[in-house]
Amino acid sequence: MHDAIVGGAYAAQVAKEKNLKRWMTVSPDYAYGRDTTAEFMEYLKLFNPSIEIVGDVWPKLFQADYTEAITRLLQGKPQAIYSALWGGDLTSFIDQAGIYGLFNEREFFAVNMADYAVLTAVKNVPRGLHSGNRYLKSFPNTPANTNWSNAYQARFKDLPLNWAWQNAAAVQFLTSAMKKTNSADGKKMAAALRGMSIDSPFGSNGKLTMRAEDNTLVDYAVGWGSLEPKEPFMSKPSPGNWKQITELEVQWKKRKSYT
Amino acid sequence: MDLNALFECLGSMSCIVTQTSTGLIVGALLFLVAAGLTLIFGVLGVINFAHGSFYMLGAYVALSAYRITDNYALAAVAAGLGVGLFALVFERFFMRRVYKSDVLLQLLVCYAFILILDDVVKIVWGAEFQSMGMPKAFQQAPLFIGGGVVPVFYVYLMAAAGLIAGLLWFILTRTRAGKIIRAAAQNPGMTSALGLNTRLIYASVFAFGGLLAGLAGGLAAPVRSMSPGMGFSILIESFIVTVIGGMGSVSGALLGALLIGLIRSFGSIGFPLFVEGIMFLAMGLILVYKPSGLMGKGQS
Amino acid sequence: MSGLKRWQKDSAWAALALLLLLALPLLDPSRVVVDFIIRLCAVGLLATSLNMLVGYGGMVSFGHAMFFGSGAYAFSLMLQKTAVSVPVALLTAVVFCGLLAAVIGAICVRLKGIYFSFLTLAFQMLLHSIIITWTGLTGGDQGLTGGIPRPVFIGIDLSKTQHVYMFSCVLAVVCLLVMRLLMQSPFGYTLRMLRDNEDRAAFLGINAWRVRLYAFILAGMFAGVGGVIMALFVSGAFPDFSYWTMSGEAVFMIMMGGIHVFTGPVLGAALLQIFNDTITRNTQYHGLALGLVILLFTLGFQRGITDVFKGWRKWLPAANKGGH
Repeated sequence: MHDAIVGGAYAAQVAKEKNLKRWMTVSPDYAYGRDTTAEFMEYLKLFNPSIEIVGDVWPKLFQADYTEAITRLLQGKPQAIYSALWGGDLTSFIDQAGIYGLFNEREFFAVNMADYAVLTAVKNVPRGLHSGNRYLKSFPNTPANTNWSNAYQARFKDLPLNWAWQNAAAVQFLTSAMKKTNSADGKKMAAALRGMSIDSPFGSNGKLTMRAEDNTLVDYAVGWGSLEPKEPFMSKPSPGNWKQITELEVQWKKRKSYT
Repeated sequence: MDLNALFECLGSMSCIVTQTSTGLIVGALLFLVAAGLTLIFGVLGVINFAHGSFYMLGAYVALSAYRITDNYALAAVAAGLGVGLFALVFERFFMRRVYKSDVLLQLLVCYAFILILDDVVKIVWGAEFQSMGMPKAFQQAPLFIGGGVVPVFYVYLMAAAGLIAGLLWFILTRTRAGKIIRAAAQNPGMTSALGLNTRLIYASVFAFGGLLAGLAGGLAAPVRSMSPGMGFSILIESFIVTVIGGMGSVSGALLGALLIGLIRSFGSIGFPLFVEGIMFLAMGLILVYKPSGLMGKGQS
Repeated sequence: MSGLKRWQKDSAWAALALLLLLALPLLDPSRVVVDFIIRLCAVGLLATSLNMLVGYGGMVSFGHAMFFGSGAYAFSLMLQKTAVSVPVALLTAVVFCGLLAAVIGAICVRLKGIYFSFLTLAFQMLLHSIIITWTGLTGGDQGLTGGIPRPVFIGIDLSKTQHVYMFSCVLAVVCLLVMRLLMQSPFGYTLRMLRDNEDRAAFLGINAWRVRLYAFILAGMFAGVGGVIMALFVSGAFPDFSYWTMSGEAVFMIMMGGIHVFTGPVLGAALLQIFNDTITRNTQYHGLALGLVILLFTLGFQRGITDVFKGWRKWLPAANKGGH
């Protein structure tokens, strides 16, 4: 959701700059793929109504062979493509699409691209590739973040992924709650966690908040940007504006009758 | 369903070229895996349910070989040989014991190996997906034939598959070894009575089938990402191919693979969400009307 | 031994088993045992119904879990989307599985051996793929979430674990008894004859296809009941219930427990559950461990546990008890 809003806004901007009107999507055919793509497209059109979605392709999750999907994308002749593919699927897709020249003269927006597992696996990151951040040690560009990333690498000999920062944040929250209530009792900690703000290397302004009304993590660093083939991978991220995010999220919740 | 798109495509030359080549590409890889499966069934009478795991092993072996040697051709060959060797051991110590047993035991032995191999792969190469990447030689612009797009790598792949198909045909029909294999498939008792070592024949056919699957895994490695459990979907597809083509018939496997490839490529335009359903439907129809397959010998 | 006496004996055994099961929570009120038994009821029905096909019919179905899954989904959907009572939902689920089995069986049952196995596997994967894609109805890969409403019926409140336990035990024992009676009836013997000597059956004018189809449908329906129990246990339905590994495990349960004795599959189910629970607690390499155990049974023993005992029983004086 937050990703979709920020991504939609960013992509709308890029679309205006580069005059990208025809869009197609290729995402895995299951709940996550469908929902994420729908939300992104919704906000893309919200920020840039001249966008036209000329087709969508839905390969199966973990489908190994994307040839049909790629040829359908080629046939649709879009100017930009969005994808919610992730991990191995995204890597295979980019490898396979690369030899078809799918990315020549096309912009590719892959929400899950800026993830170290994918970035290191794809040997040729094509030009014109944009992504939301998953975990990047360069974003937010703060010493706290870089230190955390280096410490992680030293300990686990692996680059941190999306799960890593989320889990780290969770543990940070839990320990803060424990310190605050001076106990490990579940109910007390839950009460303390509601609406809590802590200092964190992953926060957009150095802080992370656990929103009281629905226990969602907010104020984390979320942004989109174009990618390069090597470190720091995303040199000019466009960070999301949390005020805007929160406003739109409230509207979305009303529409889905979640409030 | 999008029949309009399908008719549009059939009217456009570039679309026909692209989609047909897509079908051929998909079919080529499928053929390599299915050929091994059908050969093993034809001669030994067992379905190697673990065939998908052979494919997976081939991909991983190729990955490691490529990382060491940086040579794609070598990696693919290593994959084929490595898996062939493994298949030899597998046949000797495990499958051989259940040839005479119920289908139940054969299925379970293979199922056990799928589970074991998936975990072995996880232990050796890790549970995260791995990627080989496209070798430099193929990192070039695709060919434009008749307006359609055909990547250079896939042209090589189709050529490789065609070469292997030709080789298989030659071995099976023109060499003495091929005659022996065919004889063993038709009448094992008589073959051994003639003094031929059926055990050796079985072992070599099984190993060869494994080699083909491993080779397929290795050849496809640049455009796939490897993860434990990747073998299962190709197992189902290659089974569908062998059923449609006829169990035991290599030419049937070729025909079936190409057919499935074309169904997938054109089907994904006309019936994007039902492509799998169409494949199963095709298999179901064949099983009902001609259970021995398109090229199979006529017994139900 | 006349037919009448046999069914009385079987019913007596069933009643005894039921009494023991119902008394069990009084002896050991731990949640672990109760949960284990409920799961065993569900999976035991899956395994025993599958054995109708494998052991008694000689048809190795590798896709039986599709009925387990269908039962779970049909039951849960009925309760979620309509205001029917639990018995009606149960009945609907069973009928749905029966119809599904009729359609699929009509095609599959014509084939033999490995073709039958793979075709059932293929159909199961097709169903699985439909479940995943039809997110509007089935919730897709996340399964049916939100829990199942359980309106109280004849004093039974299925939101209480105790009641779920008793309901599952009664349902399972009754179904097992019915399956037992079916297999001991002329129908069951016909099925066995088809397994052993199809030509002879044909000469006797028996329509092989029809008998096998009936067996397939019945097996599907009982598997569906198992699915219902599972759905109650997990408060929902998930695509995994219809995945090939579920079928594979069911096949192994039968093999491990013994295909030639009626209670073999249930024993196999219990053993496999114990095994799974222990393994997952101790190592992440569940596949490796399970694979090795399967190899042990298939290559080492080459028969199930009760099969081994059945062999020994021949040496005991009271030779003609139970079994078949």
